[in-house]
Amino acid sequence: MAEKKIKIIIAKPGLDGHDRGAKVVARALVEAGMEVVYLGLRQTPESIVNAALEEDADVVGLSILSGAHMTHFKRVKELMDKNGLGDRLLTGGGIIPTKDQDKLKDLGVGKVFGPGDDLQSIVDYIRKWRGSQGD
Amino acid sequence: MGRPLAIYSSRHQRIYLGLDRNYIFVRTGASIGRSLGPELWDDFFKGSRLACARLITLVENSPELVPEIRDKLIPRQKGAIRVGITGPPGVGKSTVTAALVRRAVKAGHTVGVIAVDPTSPFTGGAFLGDRVRMLSLIGDPHIFIRSQASRDGHGGLSPSTPYVADVFDAFGMDRIFIETVGVGQAELDVLTCADLIVLVLQPATGDIIQALKAGIIEAADLLLINKSDLSGTESLLESLRFLFEISARPTTIPAPPVLTAAALHNRGLDEAYKEIERLISGHVASGRIREKKRLRLEGEMKSSVLQDLWGRFAALTNAPEKMRTAAENLLENGRSPYPFIRNLCARITMEVRDERTNRKDHG
Repeated sequence: MAEKKIKIIIAKPGLDGHDRGAKVVARALVEAGMEVVYLGLRQTPESIVNAALEEDADVVGLSILSGAHMTHFKRVKELMDKNGLGDRLLTGGGIIPTKDQDKLKDLGVGKVFGPGDDLQSIVDYIRKWRGSQGD
Repeated sequence: MGRPLAIYSSRHQRIYLGLDRNYIFVRTGASIGRSLGPELWDDFFKGSRLACARLITLVENSPELVPEIRDKLIPRQKGAIRVGITGPPGVGKSTVTAALVRRAVKAGHTVGVIAVDPTSPFTGGAFLGDRVRMLSLIGDPHIFIRSQASRDGHGGLSPSTPYVADVFDAFGMDRIFIETVGVGQAELDVLTCADLIVLVLQPATGDIIQALKAGIIEAADLLLINKSDLSGTESLLESLRFLFEISARPTTIPAPPVLTAAALHNRGLDEAYKEIERLISGHVASGRIREKKRLRLEGEMKSSVLQDLWGRFAALTNAPEKMRTAAENLLENGRSPYPFIRNLCARITMEVRDERTNRKDHG
């Protein structure tokens, strides 16, 4: 039997058009053997959670550089919980100040990554999270 | 490894696969390992999209559960029509699929979409990007899109794609669009997986010599030249017309229609959709779709039996290990592999036993 693949959604919510980072991270996850469903630019929280549900994704990763991270993460997390995806990991990255990282954690969001973080640390974090989920 | 499937079983007789004197019982129908909870099925049959998504994950990740899942699904399947969308990379398969799905929903259908992208043979990962072209479909309750990595499939689909289509069918979808990975000439899994094949092409991708080659082009029920706003469309049309003109196929089988479209500019898709529905009606009436469904079942039986036999054989004989050693030696000595193969196969015996007299030995 094939080993369980990690399936992850990568999306950019809102109007911020800088998707190079999302593509770099997506590529790194693919090279780490994961299955990445790439949604790209200008997603709404609804479209992201809809995709996460249909794809039965393990992880949702948001890339936000616009400063709207508190709004988007909060709304995506709410919708995930509402749609029975509360047990999946919501993570992401962008320009997110340290004080907001703590607030996001309180909302139930996982670790968020920023400039200077090693790609391997993102891979390791996701693998470790998956490993802690049991079956 | 492999799925439990009866080779032959009746109330009194079972077939045993044996090797030398070490007979092993071939399990009949019972599933090995964990079973599916009744809650998942309840939710699925009540229409829970999350249950549907989870069931698809199970057929993708746990081939050993497929028999159990198929048993439950089949009574609920209504025979949804499966439309395969195939063609070379970058011709616009996803964009065309999205356009056709929109029209199917408008015509009152409930649609499942399976969009397959390639798994890397080097890392095992996959970048699934088809949804990017289908954003306009998201959120419609009549549409369910699932991206799939091709994993161990090398014919343009994932090994689990047919079962995902079964899940959609039992979930109440009556049209299923199956988009293959970008194909070359001989990725033909879609041929058996779909009831109707749409081959998407684009101009300026090769001359008549390419069109004359065997493979996917022969399998198409409809050819759609996308990006027809680009130059070269006329000459491609001409090549294809010539191809079907010189074809030796019997005149009773008409040449597949060739249509043009520019999906990005939303041109030609109404006509393409209408043609697809016309072909579906024709193929339902002529019995061709039933024939396809029968062939699919035959193929499923054959591959399940093969997989099951191989799994048991490999476990019993340590064949993969032996093959590796043998291959090393054969390479070293420049010898043919066939004496080894004959030797290995000669050790297989099959025996039908009477279950009543032997029950004690194997009970």
